Amino acid sequence: MEEQKTVVEQAKEELEKRFSRTLAVAASNLCVHCGLCVDQCHYFVATRDPNISPVAKAEQVRRVVKGEHDWLRRIFPWWTGAKELTEEDLDKWVEAAFRNCSMCQRCVVNCPLGVDTPLVLATARGVLTAVGKAPEILVQLADAAIAREENLEFFKDFYLEQIKELEAELQKKVGDPEARIPVGVEGARFLYVPLSGAHTIMPAAEIFYHAGESWTLSMFEAANYGIFLNDPVRSKRITERIIREAERLKVQEIIITECGHAYAVSRWEAPKWFKDQPWNFRVRSILEVMDEYIQTGRIQVDKSRNPFSVTYHDSCNLGRNSGLFDEPRRILAACVEDFREMTPNRERNYCCGGGGGLVAIPEWQDIRLEAGKPKADQIRATGAEAVVASCDNCRHQLGEINEHYGLNVRVMGMAELVANAIVPNNGKK
Amino acid sequence: MSETIKADLELNLQGLMCPLPVVKISQAIKNVPVGGVIEATATDPGVMADIPAWAKSTGNEMLKVEKEGKVIRFWVKRLK
Repeated sequence: MEEQKTVVEQAKEELEKRFSRTLAVAASNLCVHCGLCVDQCHYFVATRDPNISPVAKAEQVRRVVKGEHDWLRRIFPWWTGAKELTEEDLDKWVEAAFRNCSMCQRCVVNCPLGVDTPLVLATARGVLTAVGKAPEILVQLADAAIAREENLEFFKDFYLEQIKELEAELQKKVGDPEARIPVGVEGARFLYVPLSGAHTIMPAAEIFYHAGESWTLSMFEAANYGIFLNDPVRSKRITERIIREAERLKVQEIIITECGHAYAVSRWEAPKWFKDQPWNFRVRSILEVMDEYIQTGRIQVDKSRNPFSVTYHDSCNLGRNSGLFDEPRRILAACVEDFREMTPNRERNYCCGGGGGLVAIPEWQDIRLEAGKPKADQIRATGAEAVVASCDNCRHQLGEINEHYGLNVRVMGMAELVANAIVPNNGKK
Repeated sequence: MSETIKADLELNLQGLMCPLPVVKISQAIKNVPVGGVIEATATDPGVMADIPAWAKSTGNEMLKVEKEGKVIRFWVKRLK
């Protein structure tokens, strides 16, 4: 009978499976320990603890990778810093990769050598998931998303009933009994993928109504907790539900709601995962769609309808990871009278502290709120009355740091702001 | 209807949005014995799909869902 592998053996096998050229570069001696990444990390800025600086976190994993792949370690293990993996190391990786890193990529932007520290830590996340050491709730949320498709018939009627109620609200709001929240419409131009919850459906439905858009609502939610686990099987499975739905409905575009990681997964990862399948649609964020509507005059907006000062938080996944910097700023220029940039902004913006799945892990709320202090300071310095974020995880975190640090600001989504600013045209193009 | 299921724990999830209702249920289920029931109320319509899917994937059982205006009331039984 084959002897069962130890956790360490399983982890080493998984690490070997994930070993690639890019990981080899990130985990090699390319990092010269210059320390420039240290005070770029919101965790370090908030805590001043060098043990949770990017270089210190990555080094825990790098030493093990070197132990396996750096030939010099055979002669000079003390020189290379190579280390044999132990189960105690894996437990420390949980802290380094899941608790103390939100995968925001700010350290990469500010590294003169471009060392991809989040790639090293994401690899650790994948290894930990494979050996059953990932945070349980992230696994449960990913599995629940998969179960949602497998049990579609069970909840479909409940879901459609909810959408009907939201449709009635929309009709009342726009004053048109013909206004619709369509579901399952074949041949629609857009498949709009919301998150669970009316707040990601209603403002978008109102904007689509005023734009006279041809759209249909997805039966699934955009969130993909598989990506936070760096689990390719779960991530692909979750995304595949939406790809299949888009193919079945023959839509031209998949429009992802205001959700940073869902956009990054669908826009950048999914085309690689499903490269052998026909890809007859493009993927955009609703940010891009709202910007297009405003720039082309498809919806009319009046900035005096948002008569308060607003600052904008660049979600790491939409901004640094996807380059959506100008779209939100054009929208804000059109929809608010008093827009105030926070400093730093765009690719140098600080993470709010809620990324990487952290908002879903209550056990780590203390460090998450502490790591949110640089963001709280940025918001406070603007003096703005409202902070807009185009990512639901960011909005959760901003809501909590708003309360924790007594910022007294209103936390809003961009679609909500645009819907407020719309000059009604009764759904005519 | 609600008198027919005896709850071991009551949970108010009203005002919470995704993923927090699932997160809270996942935490709370550890505080009831196997065979025990949580009765929860929520207002986010996302729970209508998320909680049954979570229950299914974690090997627990969604016993019943009711709507009272905007409030969704549901019962989850811990099976393991």
